[in-house]
Amino acid sequence: MDFLVWLESTPIAAAITTSVWMYATFETIHYIGLAMLVGSIMLIDLRLLGFARSLPLPPMLGLLPWVWVGFLINVVTGSLMFIYNATSFGTNKAFWVKMTLMALAGLNALAFTVAVARTGERWLTAGETPVAIKVVATLSLVLWLGVMTAGRWMAYV
Amino acid sequence: MDFLAWLQSTAFATAVAETIWAYPLLETMHALGMAMLLGSLGLTNLRVLGFKPELPLLGTQDLLPLAWLGFTINAVSGLALFASDAIYFFSSYTFRIKIVLIALAGINAVLLSRKVFHEPPAGGGADPVAKGLAAVSLVFWVGAAVAGRLIAYTP
Repeated sequence: MDFLVWLESTPIAAAITTSVWMYATFETIHYIGLAMLVGSIMLIDLRLLGFARSLPLPPMLGLLPWVWVGFLINVVTGSLMFIYNATSFGTNKAFWVKMTLMALAGLNALAFTVAVARTGERWLTAGETPVAIKVVATLSLVLWLGVMTAGRWMAYV
Repeated sequence: MDFLAWLQSTAFATAVAETIWAYPLLETMHALGMAMLLGSLGLTNLRVLGFKPELPLLGTQDLLPLAWLGFTINAVSGLALFASDAIYFFSSYTFRIKIVLIALAGINAVLLSRKVFHEPPAGGGADPVAKGLAAVSLVFWVGAAVAGRLIAYTP
């Protein structure tokens, strides 16, 4: 709690407090980051599940940098909004649900990366995804939808 | 104005405004629909502009059902959110800008899909007109998302 109080007393938090526009700008950029992150990962996951078969799998996996850019944008804007609201977000149940779901989504993405490195050459160009990869893709969709839901709920609990 | 007052007094609108979970649920659906729409149309437009040439241009038509699903989710959730506070939203300039941007994006999408999918150019590349329409499409859709988020902060 001391740490949260200290965060709110930093010059960064003070700068956000003095400008109405700054918070609105961070929140808007957070939404654009969300569209990049969830929009791209959804296309990759749905393609792995068999949607949009006219688009070859290897270049679709090439959309991963967009996921990373969206993720980085949201880590930066999210951290700035957290600093401003440290004591209320730090004790917000929905915020911790969101962080937990994000950590699980990260582990799931790691499992996917390892699986592609180890078995990818057998199915990537053939286009037929193994069942285990389909499970990972479904989990990814569910976890990111959960992250978005928990994120929106932070303003209401 | 009478219509807006009636709309926000309906049982449905009051339920959205007063039930604790209805508003955040609709907002979450609206963010999901936005990610579907911007994700699928964003990739299609970037492909027309020459990004990821390994993806067949005509194959991006496979993404259109996802764009329509996102649009439908957002039309439904957006109408419900609008109904909950109709007079406020209708009088918001930022809301009006958002609706105009969506209308422009819709007209643009019809022109672009005619150009790219119905009269596909030989060789699989897109001509400068199609590229211009794709660039404008990205501006309209991102603009609509930005305006949407700023409704809460602006007159």
